[in-house]
Amino acid sequence: MAEYIVRRLIFGIFVLFIMTTFIFIIMRAVPGDVVTLQLANSGATAEQMDALKAEMGLDKSVLGQLVDWVSNAVKGDLGNSLWSGQEVSKIILERLPVTIQLAIMSIVLAIIIGIPIGVISAVKQNTFIDHFLKVISIGGLSIPNFWLGLIMLTVLSLVLNWIPPLGYQSFAENPFVNIQQMFLPAICLAITLSASIVRMTRSAVLEVLHSEFIRTVRAKGAKEGIVIFKHALRNSLVSVITLIGLQIGYLLGGTVVLESIFALPGLGSLIFESVLVRDYPIVQSTVLVFGAMFLLVNLIVDVMYGWVDPRIRTK
Amino acid sequence: MAQNSNILLQVEEMKTVFKTRTGNLEAVDGVSFSISKGETVAIVGESGSGKSVSALSILRLLDSNGEVISGKILFNNLNLKDLSNDEIRKIRGNEIAMIFQDPMTCLDPVYTIGDQIIETIKIHEDLSKNELRERALELLKLVGLPDPESRIDAFPHQLSGGQRQRVMIAIALACRPNLIIADEPTTALDVTVQAQIMQLLKDLQAQFGTAIILVTHDLGVVAEMADKVVVVYAGQVVEQSDVKDLFNKPVHPYTEALLKSIPKIDTNKNRRLLTIKGNVPSLKEIPSGCRFHPRCPLATEKCRSEEPPLFKADNDRVSKCWIADPDLQEEWENPILIDEKEADFEINEHLVSKNMLLEVKDLKKHFPITKGILSRTVGHVKAVDGVSLNINKGEVLGLVGESGCGKSTVGRLITGLIDSTNGEVSFDGKQLSNVNRKDKKGIRKRIQFVFQDPYSSLNPRMTILDIIGEPLEVHHLAKGTTKRQRVGELLEIVGLSKEDMHKFPHQFSGGQRQRIGIARALATEPDLLICDEAVSALDVSVQAQILNLLKDLQLQLGLSYLFISHDLNVVKYISDRIAVMYLGEIVEVTDSDTLFKDPLHPYAKALISAVPVPNPNIEPERMILSGEVPSPSNPPSGCKFHTRCPFAMDICKQDKPQLRAISEDHIVSCHLYGEERGHG
Repeated sequence: MAEYIVRRLIFGIFVLFIMTTFIFIIMRAVPGDVVTLQLANSGATAEQMDALKAEMGLDKSVLGQLVDWVSNAVKGDLGNSLWSGQEVSKIILERLPVTIQLAIMSIVLAIIIGIPIGVISAVKQNTFIDHFLKVISIGGLSIPNFWLGLIMLTVLSLVLNWIPPLGYQSFAENPFVNIQQMFLPAICLAITLSASIVRMTRSAVLEVLHSEFIRTVRAKGAKEGIVIFKHALRNSLVSVITLIGLQIGYLLGGTVVLESIFALPGLGSLIFESVLVRDYPIVQSTVLVFGAMFLLVNLIVDVMYGWVDPRIRTK
Repeated sequence: MAQNSNILLQVEEMKTVFKTRTGNLEAVDGVSFSISKGETVAIVGESGSGKSVSALSILRLLDSNGEVISGKILFNNLNLKDLSNDEIRKIRGNEIAMIFQDPMTCLDPVYTIGDQIIETIKIHEDLSKNELRERALELLKLVGLPDPESRIDAFPHQLSGGQRQRVMIAIALACRPNLIIADEPTTALDVTVQAQIMQLLKDLQAQFGTAIILVTHDLGVVAEMADKVVVVYAGQVVEQSDVKDLFNKPVHPYTEALLKSIPKIDTNKNRRLLTIKGNVPSLKEIPSGCRFHPRCPLATEKCRSEEPPLFKADNDRVSKCWIADPDLQEEWENPILIDEKEADFEINEHLVSKNMLLEVKDLKKHFPITKGILSRTVGHVKAVDGVSLNINKGEVLGLVGESGCGKSTVGRLITGLIDSTNGEVSFDGKQLSNVNRKDKKGIRKRIQFVFQDPYSSLNPRMTILDIIGEPLEVHHLAKGTTKRQRVGELLEIVGLSKEDMHKFPHQFSGGQRQRIGIARALATEPDLLICDEAVSALDVSVQAQILNLLKDLQLQLGLSYLFISHDLNVVKYISDRIAVMYLGEIVEVTDSDTLFKDPLHPYAKALISAVPVPNPNIEPERMILSGEVPSPSNPPSGCKFHTRCPFAMDICKQDKPQLRAISEDHIVSCHLYGEERGHG
């Protein structure tokens, strides 16, 4: 097991390197840079701008910049923001908890909504309830989450005259306010994820319900509750967990827009703001953190397989 | 019925239907039988006869679209059909328990076997945690699982097939039921393990007086286990009788035909097997009148139009055939179901010349086991470990052994479907490793393969013309009209019609598909056919047709076969010589009569004695092997069989015995037969 985890981590570092390189080049291919954007209307001369660029190391070739960035990043120095001059690692550490909390809340909500509905659809296969839930979950899959976020905000403020409290407060500072602020974006992210969990749970549970060991359990005289939750659901978890691992990518992507809509100071809104002002070090580092989160979650998923299914454990 | 008080379960006119989109399918149509305390009743039939559905109907364990719609299932004066779900749950697992066919898929893979046994007890009894574990342990000891203290926490995948079936039996016995319904309990197991499990069931029955309903297609198992037999055909009981009466003098033509169509150890190889024409009818097209009439050689006008009732005879016998009508004036002859003139096969002239066709020397196939970041090879699964054999022109060599012994791998190596690790295959005097690519293709053409499963070995999207024509095109033998003509000929050779070539595989029954598989193999005019379990997936009545066909082809075309099978009766019937394999090695080769009369190697002896004999009058002497086949990745030292051999000596643990000729055409590798026998 330990050997497997080490192997996966080594592989992960390789993936992260390729990913950073890709983002690095793409970012520089976008026209405009931080100096031009900052000083465009300030009347600064071209010489002054070039001098500033040289100071930031932007005058070197793309490859040269890449080498600088990677060699510093390996030492743990992610550089400073080109805009505010703050240390990137500090900014990220400040904002990371918001995104992690949002992601965890969305996943938990998605599981709470998705698995029971999936199980109900499977047990009530081809009945009215199943078809009804199918329509709902396909709807959930098709609605873009930013649209849902905007609609929710609008409807709540118009009908209930309520908007989430302004001015972000962390859970430690004020849990009540924090939950009010986080709940809506978490729901928006959870709905898309739960819709796919419903579909996966339904088909996985259905498949397991048709396997022979389920008949053995029924032949023991077990109640349907035991048959479904202790045996069918437990055996379906591998595919559901796999799905959640893969959907983490979409979830993290969704935080970019939703954090901006709901004015949450997380990594998502950070990357959104930084792209607009071409704050290269922040964008690169944030993408790196997102990538690492995705890889880490999927590593956890793979380790969980063994916990869920003893056949994988022994291999 | 006189012994009414003893009757445990009585099924009366039970009817089970499955609701489908195309209408209701009557899988069981008015089945009646009863079972007394401590008795074993076998329900016998071919696939689709409704035997399993009948068994599942008793405890209402059918799929959600199946339902018992009429009749009575009386158990302790309760009609199980009318009980509420909660009430029947109290009976399931508690008073009536079930054992299913495939131990590989019948246990939940994510819970330990201990948990799964405890689950049953917990549902029906209120015991403390320690008591539950004690009981589970006791049950595992009872069913003879080796080392129960440590195995109780094992997961199903850590056990072998036979061990899992023991666990299934432990689950069934957990609440000391009065009745166990066993649905094909030994079908998925090897013969030696099957013998162990049958013995276990018999012992437990003697100990606890449990009644057993045994659902099976295997008449050998019936003869050894059952007291009473219920024969079902197309959802109806056609005959019911005491086991001895049934085997000694069957009344229904179907029963008689079934008994005669299976090859037995004492079946004369030179005689054609009796066959039942046609196929088991589908539930969608049930014949009018007597359901067996389209396949019955004795069918009359009356059989076609009128359904016979169940006629009662002496000794509680029941037969659903007009022959058994006591009011009938005419005397019926005991049905003769075979044309005497065609009964014997001609003498195989191809065998006389004794030309070597295939010679295999020291063939090895080791599959690597890899591990670690760099996929280091840490060991080998020695699937085939030094096999030498030869086949003469026109000869059938049978290859037998338990699952995992490497017999299928040998077949694949010879055809070149997989590459060998070591060894030499010569075909018709040419060494396969020495010939160039073009010649190799020429040789490939002359060795063809017939696969086990006729359902998955034909591409469902291709017509029969394309399926059989494909090898013709691959080897540039025929195209266009010539191809069509040749495919037509081939279909006729295997007993199908020319018109069938434009159909798709799903339009054929299992037996017909296997004929198509044979026609495809014959397309390139091969000299050698490798038949890997070629009749194992077929119903007994269809199996006989295919075996006769294979024999006819052997005689007409001078074909040779390598006939790989786990079914010793079939191998005995079709083979001229037989090679016995154990853990990747051949342990004995001799002609088939000698092998069955005088097997030398202890493994061959055990294997042959483990075969269930379809004759209830004799109690076969059985040499039951302990344990199961060791892993081929870590085979025992010395003689690989010594861990299970009752005659193992010290020398067997260290020295590997060599294959040596005991007499002409009889070679064996065993230390028991040293120089003395060789000289004497």
